[in-house]
Amino acid sequence: MEFVSPEGLRLDGRRPMEMRQIRGEIGAVAKADGSAFFEMGNTKVIAAVYGPREVENRSQQISDQALVRCEYTMANFSTGDRVRKPKGDRRSTEISLVIRQTMEACILTHLMPRSQIDIFVQVLQADGGTRSACINAATLALADAGIPMRDLVTSCSAGYLNSTPLLDLNYVEDSAGGPDVTVGILPKLDKVTLLQMDAKLPMDIFENVMQLAIEGCKAIANYIRELLLENTKQLEYRRGP
Amino acid sequence: MVSANVSGDLSSEMEVDAFRRLFPLRYHERFLLDSIRPDARPLGRARDTSLALGAVASADGSALAKIGCTTMLAAVKMEVMTPPKESPDEGSIAIEFYMPPICSPLVRPGRPAEEAPVVSKQLSDTILSSGMINLKELSLVSGKAAWMAYLDIYCLDADGSLFDAALLAAVAAFSHLQIPVVSLNEDGRVVVVSEENEEGKSEKEPVNKGKRKLTLSSLPFSLTCILHKNYILADPTAEEESIMETLVTVVLDSSGQLVSLYKPGGPVLAYASAVQDCIALTRQRVKELKSILNEAISDMEVD
Repeated sequence: MEFVSPEGLRLDGRRPMEMRQIRGEIGAVAKADGSAFFEMGNTKVIAAVYGPREVENRSQQISDQALVRCEYTMANFSTGDRVRKPKGDRRSTEISLVIRQTMEACILTHLMPRSQIDIFVQVLQADGGTRSACINAATLALADAGIPMRDLVTSCSAGYLNSTPLLDLNYVEDSAGGPDVTVGILPKLDKVTLLQMDAKLPMDIFENVMQLAIEGCKAIANYIRELLLENTKQLEYRRGP
Repeated sequence: MVSANVSGDLSSEMEVDAFRRLFPLRYHERFLLDSIRPDARPLGRARDTSLALGAVASADGSALAKIGCTTMLAAVKMEVMTPPKESPDEGSIAIEFYMPPICSPLVRPGRPAEEAPVVSKQLSDTILSSGMINLKELSLVSGKAAWMAYLDIYCLDADGSLFDAALLAAVAAFSHLQIPVVSLNEDGRVVVVSEENEEGKSEKEPVNKGKRKLTLSSLPFSLTCILHKNYILADPTAEEESIMETLVTVVLDSSGQLVSLYKPGGPVLAYASAVQDCIALTRQRVKELKSILNEAISDMEVD
């Protein structure tokens, strides 16, 4: 099957190095301490952050740090076929763990000892790159909640099909069986916090694909930064003189 | 953060917030004496309601309903199944209501919300008993194939009146529903015809080409009210629900007939007159909701 046409267009009309349209919204859930809605093409996720609050289970309390918990769930109608077991299955548990460890690396947990920060991500529509969309949404939600962080965390995926590196795979491209590299970075510090790849790839091509994903992450970071700046201006304006 | 050294205005502001947390009932009663509520609504008015159809592109029918801050996302997905022997000409509907942890600080993984199964059952009973959907319309081939409609409703933000918002979202999702086109393939099984199979179209004749939308008769709409002493508050927020616990939910259909009445106990005992007042408030609300739904449907058609 041809994923990149001879003219250099992908199945949805994008160029190989073009990302899908991204859109983020802060404050999607009124009841949460911080929340955000993030869209990457047709993948739509909502993230809500509750915390820092009291630890639910006293035995899990850490005396010098905050406890970070994360739960990733997919809505029943989020994929093409109705999902029977939206959480508690292996994939959801693995992604919950990945998101937790990624965010934990950048939250300044030592500032909030004996407390708990809950990050809940709900996938409303899945079209590839849910992991990345969830991390981006979680970053926005944590910023909205005012939780101190070292840096933003942004994430993007890239692949390699028909001998071309492709940025931001959608579901069809992801299920094609080619390699799928997901990268999460701290943009200002220029450090990689998440790196996952499946399928085989020669080392030199891997470098290219990873670099492409990092560029994608940086572009998302710029967008997120603008969004947060705009949001802060709105808050300042509403607060008055 | 407000410090105690700032001018008198700010420190009295902090006292109001503290008063609200420490003595919530007295705080609300101060407003009720003036026939108004803390968010400046008169007692009988519901919060701003909005509806958006087609929120989930991958579902066959979907809607996003917001009443104030309470947000519900409903989506219908259709699957083909074999009908049971007792009712070979009827399809079936399965309704599920979820409250994921994002919706409220009180819901945590491992500690699910108390209201979720209650609202789920209420919704299921109301929709099936209201006769909104004729199950015979969901039949494809008598005795062999029928539609199973899975309606999933997710609460994205829980701020009171969960049942009202969920019912509105469910009704809107069914109004938006487009039944997929199916045809019989060689094995005699019913398959969904996808738009890509251009070559196959000549051999497989669609079984239900003409009929793509359900005819919905008598749409149910509801209003939840709270009874407190002799006040009746329509469309409570989560804060009001937690302090004044007597809820009455009235469901009327679009022709004004009573579909269901639900008063699950509570400290206030209501006279029949109070229930009549609730029904009157619901009647007004049904008019509002009908016009909101029609507007949302016509917006979709313009697109």
